[in-house]
Amino acid sequence: MSARAASAAVAVIGLGIAGYLTAVHFAGGTPACAVAHGCATVQQSKYAELAGVPVALLGLLGYAGVLASLARDGESARTVTAFLSLAGFGFSGWLTYVEVARLDAICSWCVASAVCMTLLAVLSVARLVCDATPARA
Amino acid sequence: MLTSRNRRLLAAAALAAVVVAVAAVASSSGGQPAATIAKSTLFRGIPEQHGVLGDPRAPVTVTEYVDLQCPVCAAAARETLPTLVRDYVRTGKAKLDVRTLSFIGPDSQRAARFAAGAAGQGRLWPFLEAFYASQGQENSGYVTDEHLRSVAAAAGVDAGAALEYADSAAAQEPLNRANADAQRLGIDSTPTFTVARGDAEPHVLPAHEARSVAAAIDAELGR
Repeated sequence: MSARAASAAVAVIGLGIAGYLTAVHFAGGTPACAVAHGCATVQQSKYAELAGVPVALLGLLGYAGVLASLARDGESARTVTAFLSLAGFGFSGWLTYVEVARLDAICSWCVASAVCMTLLAVLSVARLVCDATPARA
Repeated sequence: MLTSRNRRLLAAAALAAVVVAVAAVASSSGGQPAATIAKSTLFRGIPEQHGVLGDPRAPVTVTEYVDLQCPVCAAAARETLPTLVRDYVRTGKAKLDVRTLSFIGPDSQRAARFAAGAAGQGRLWPFLEAFYASQGQENSGYVTDEHLRSVAAAAGVDAGAALEYADSAAAQEPLNRANADAQRLGIDSTPTFTVARGDAEPHVLPAHEARSVAAAIDAELGR
């Protein structure tokens, strides 16, 4: 499987996770978790929104952007994929730090999304720098 | 010499770093408790006994499961409770009860124990409303005695007596009851409302918007 195809597969999984979290956010509920679990804590914290926009929706848009950038294979498209993936990876890292250090709670859905963003970052950087396949303009 | 691809990667990484830094700063800002808490008139004139707001003879009991650090609970207090109080509590159709869960963290526990002290003074609901209005960053340790005193002042609660009660063993009983009731009813998120007529088993509502709770109360009243 090429890095491009693998990235698309990971982005689709991430899109599903972010879609679920976005739907839960707008439904006013919390992700399926037990009382003692961290999902509710994270979803209801102030970090669940950025400037009034749910971070789950930002993730959804991020994954959609990655998928859109994968539609083409030029160097510019690869650069956009790398930028979106690295930004997503960095922000996921920040949110994971917040969960552990500030909220003392772990949301399994958020961790799954962070793993997807990590994979996307690795794949997109490899695709931009190492892929021997000539990029089409 | 950097290749074209490496230059592109560096540019993408640098731009991504800037975006993440700005997002992290924006994400961290705000959330501190309000310096002063406005006094509310929402519950003025409504009797409160043992934490139950409204006429004790009201046929329907609405119970809200909350965590005092939960921002959605604060939103429900602003958006859902005024309608319920106006249309059902003041008219004697329903009374409001509350279960204070504390799953978010130690600040929730401290706030819930103080709330038990406020309930003993017949000022639980004003305290809840004032506390929500001053919510700080979760689990940051903001629920200090000083913070509770400022909330108590806005809610008309005797802070000294409530703090003394919060430190007593008796203050744990409402927390234990809330946890036990939540587990028995399968409640796993806050805010969650239940509605019951008389001593009947309560119905757990799937949504917390005012119209959903109102519809459930109407259904019970129509039985």
